[in-house]
Amino acid sequence: MRSVSVIGIGETKMGSFPEKSIRSMIREAGSKAIEDAGIDKSQIGAVYMGNFNSSYWCGQSHIGALAAEELELTGKPHQRAEAACASAGLAFRQGMLAVACGLYDVVIVGGVEKMTHVSTEAVTYGLAGAADYEYEAGIGATFPSIFAMIANRYMYEYGTTRDQIAAVPVQSHENALLNPDAQMHKSITIEKVKAGFPVAYPLTVYDCSLISDGSAFAVLAATETLKDAGKNKKVIEIIGSGHGGDSLGIAKRENITSFAATKLAANEAYKMAGLTASDVDIAEVHDCFSITQIINTEDLGFFKKGKGSQAVIEGQTAIAGKIPVNTSGGLKAKGHPVGATGISQIFEIVMQLREEAGERQVKNAEIGLAHNLGGTAATCLIHILKRRQ
Amino acid sequence: MEKKAKIYTYSVIYSSTENFSNKTPYLIALLKDNRGNKKLSFIEGYDEHQDIEIGQTVIYLKDDDKGRAIYKLQDGTAFGRL
Repeated sequence: MRSVSVIGIGETKMGSFPEKSIRSMIREAGSKAIEDAGIDKSQIGAVYMGNFNSSYWCGQSHIGALAAEELELTGKPHQRAEAACASAGLAFRQGMLAVACGLYDVVIVGGVEKMTHVSTEAVTYGLAGAADYEYEAGIGATFPSIFAMIANRYMYEYGTTRDQIAAVPVQSHENALLNPDAQMHKSITIEKVKAGFPVAYPLTVYDCSLISDGSAFAVLAATETLKDAGKNKKVIEIIGSGHGGDSLGIAKRENITSFAATKLAANEAYKMAGLTASDVDIAEVHDCFSITQIINTEDLGFFKKGKGSQAVIEGQTAIAGKIPVNTSGGLKAKGHPVGATGISQIFEIVMQLREEAGERQVKNAEIGLAHNLGGTAATCLIHILKRRQ
Repeated sequence: MEKKAKIYTYSVIYSSTENFSNKTPYLIALLKDNRGNKKLSFIEGYDEHQDIEIGQTVIYLKDDDKGRAIYKLQDGTAFGRL
């Protein structure tokens, strides 16, 4: 397989935008990525789009065709990837593989979601389809409640306290204060997290990621086709990619406090990159809920099992810490436009590796990892990126 | 799944889909029986602020209209002190 690099990125601000259509968000983020790449559109060979549920929330399916039309790429092959919250991570990998195998030299990959215009019940119903519709949603389980059950079991197995779990969203909100594209610009405290509306006990609204509108794109190219790639600071190489799976529902699993899909994807990505967890300088991990970030950082090998929340409290995951996690503010505070999130995470990693992250810039970050989960960790996509200098 | 099982983990839901909005807050639990089988079930008989604990016993009550088992909290264990 050929080496593939990210040569351009673009995203919308994340938030609640009743005046914006999915079409307009695609145009905004996609055009920014193409402009950032400095290429002519005619070089783009194909379009790969992540989208979870616009069919239900917006009445619009066939997002690949919409994106190709809106970006003036009509006639190019296009497709939509759907893997719940990992839809954009999957679209990114599909585009990367097409370039790696030589089918195209340049592709554009993106994701989009619009969900703030519908009722909370409709958002909850749409998200519940990321779990098992018949045997989980059908008995009354909501998506937050499944992770709430995981949180209860995790506290039972490891003795972690509610306060320790609540430290995670507090840090995400602090990081988001430094990110102009973030939806939430507000500090919170552990007390506020615990006192929030109890969406699904023990998780409150402050443990849950945001409901967001937004879009993110990246332009990928075969590294060998780029002139002076080694000297161009904007060329960020994809050195590892992993894709792991697990059962759709949690009842089939032996263990629910560690995610097999993450471990499988991480093994593949680390092996491809020739790295271990200790080589990673920064990571964006899928914090759909506070407990999920804790489990992810353990499954990725950054911390020992049961120690993920203590690491946050000790500052190890802070911007100046040993392994900065979710410098963007994460799904919790940057936002979680479900079908765009996987590429929104990669956007942050690329910004950091190019040293364009402004006030939240991590010093000397050379290797970054993006971890994107779908459903109750039934799907996991991991990408490892490296600065070339 | 056996008629008697223990709560492996649980959640109390306050924000539901429209289909369950007249039941909030309600209890769901991942159950485990003596043979090691696991099943996710709606649990009848929960009162708000009732103390629920991992390890608490529940008993099969009935099937719902789609044939999915509903369990209930065992009498006398309302405060989960098993």
